[in-house]
Amino acid sequence: MSKILGVALGILAAIGGFVDIGDLVFNTAAGATFGYQLMWVLPIGVLGIIVYSEMCGRVAAASGKAVFDAVRERTGFAAGLSALIASELVNLLTLAAEIGGVAIALQLLSGLPYRVLLVLAITGVALVIWVVQLETIERIFGYGGLCMLVFAVAAVKLGPDWTQFGKGFIPHVSQNSPWLYLYFVIGLLGAAMTPYEVYFYSSGGVEDRWTPKDLGLNRANAIIGYSLGGLLSVALMVVGAAVFLRHGINPEHLGTIPLGAEQPLGKVGLLFAIVGILFAVGGASIDTVFSGAYNLAQFLGWEWGRYRSAAGAPRFFLTWIVLLVCALGIVMTGVDPVMLTEYAVIFSAVALPLTYIPILLVANDREYMGASTNGPLANTLGIIYLVVIAVVAVAAVPLMIITNVGQN
Amino acid sequence: MVALALAGCNGGTVDRHALTNDAATIDSINCEAWLLSGAVARNRVTTYYAREQAEELAVQAGNFADALAHRPTAANLEPRVRAKAKDASRLASRLWRLHDRPTDRDGARALAATFKQAGSCS
Repeated sequence: MSKILGVALGILAAIGGFVDIGDLVFNTAAGATFGYQLMWVLPIGVLGIIVYSEMCGRVAAASGKAVFDAVRERTGFAAGLSALIASELVNLLTLAAEIGGVAIALQLLSGLPYRVLLVLAITGVALVIWVVQLETIERIFGYGGLCMLVFAVAAVKLGPDWTQFGKGFIPHVSQNSPWLYLYFVIGLLGAAMTPYEVYFYSSGGVEDRWTPKDLGLNRANAIIGYSLGGLLSVALMVVGAAVFLRHGINPEHLGTIPLGAEQPLGKVGLLFAIVGILFAVGGASIDTVFSGAYNLAQFLGWEWGRYRSAAGAPRFFLTWIVLLVCALGIVMTGVDPVMLTEYAVIFSAVALPLTYIPILLVANDREYMGASTNGPLANTLGIIYLVVIAVVAVAAVPLMIITNVGQN
Repeated sequence: MVALALAGCNGGTVDRHALTNDAATIDSINCEAWLLSGAVARNRVTTYYAREQAEELAVQAGNFADALAHRPTAANLEPRVRAKAKDASRLASRLWRLHDRPTDRDGARALAATFKQAGSCS
């Protein structure tokens, strides 16, 4: 019974923790620009992250190795270093955007100056990581992020055109602004399959000492947690279409998104939305900073771990502190967090193959995996998604340039 | 870096395409301001939210006003571009009014009607 409860609580936290600033920005903007036409991209992105999270969780359970251990061992130093640099840069951009998002949410709640709140946000994140136990952090931010469910309620209450909604799940290319449409396809996939999620997931599995006995838990977490979390992405797109597209609004500010919940639900909806965004981006910033520290420590063979003290893993601790300081430096320049998010998501799309190819290779290695080696289904899906992310990686930057970062 | 530079190159001469885009953005700000001021009028947002979001939009509209007033323009578009600059400037000052009085429900109601008309919002 307690195990079932544990799984249920973990799934709840996963739902609340699914949405990050990339999902917020791209899902809402996609709905505001193309209505329901891009719905079909969401299940593809969610299935992709399920396939690869389950795979890297299985690698962690079977071999006790996290993603960057595997990257270093399977691809060698030079190729591994390229993957490391790319992933650290994308992680840093994402972290800066998330911290900016935390400060904006706090500003909408408190009215305090943005730069003061940036410093408070960074200090708060550092203190939480240092003082609070990780399981508690995950639960706090996961449950707080459940406030984002207000967008699901808003989506239903707005009474979307269900026929158009259903048609949106049929893949097609828009004749109207096709380049911009494709840019959003890339952005939605990049936001759903963002690499830091798998780094964090697999390292968490190693830290929680998963064994082959935990493969069921891994599968349940990945499939149920991400699927239900994906419903939040659907809800954000519906709100984008039903509120912002309908009224001719292009939501260029993070603070615009809560208006989508205010319209059907009033002040309570607005407050839930802001608090939900605060917890969602706050939790994601913690995941991101840990991912950056995990990657470097695993690649260089340092001691690492959230459960270790600062003295037990000093370079790991120093890394996440340096990452937080660098992120603060970026957002203090005054760069718009929404614009930063768009760049982070598009560049993470470019880096996707560097993350996912080594996972697929290791998951097929019998020496690592033993009886938990990929089966035909995991391999078929894994290869299909490798093709998808290779196309996404090649197309991402040209589309960003052609569409002027989605502005045209 | 090259990608960032190429993607960020939008500060040149205002041509028909740029004017259309900028006009659409100004309409979008008007429509968001309409929703926001309407929510203020019906007491459906918090004071902090109204003030901060109005400021964000006012700054954006002000930036558009400056850019459209000073950027080089294709000769045949000059009057339309400068007129848009004035529209953006008026929008910014109305938003600053909302920012300064986020609890003035009657004022917000009047502003909402103005924003709606200016942005041709539906």
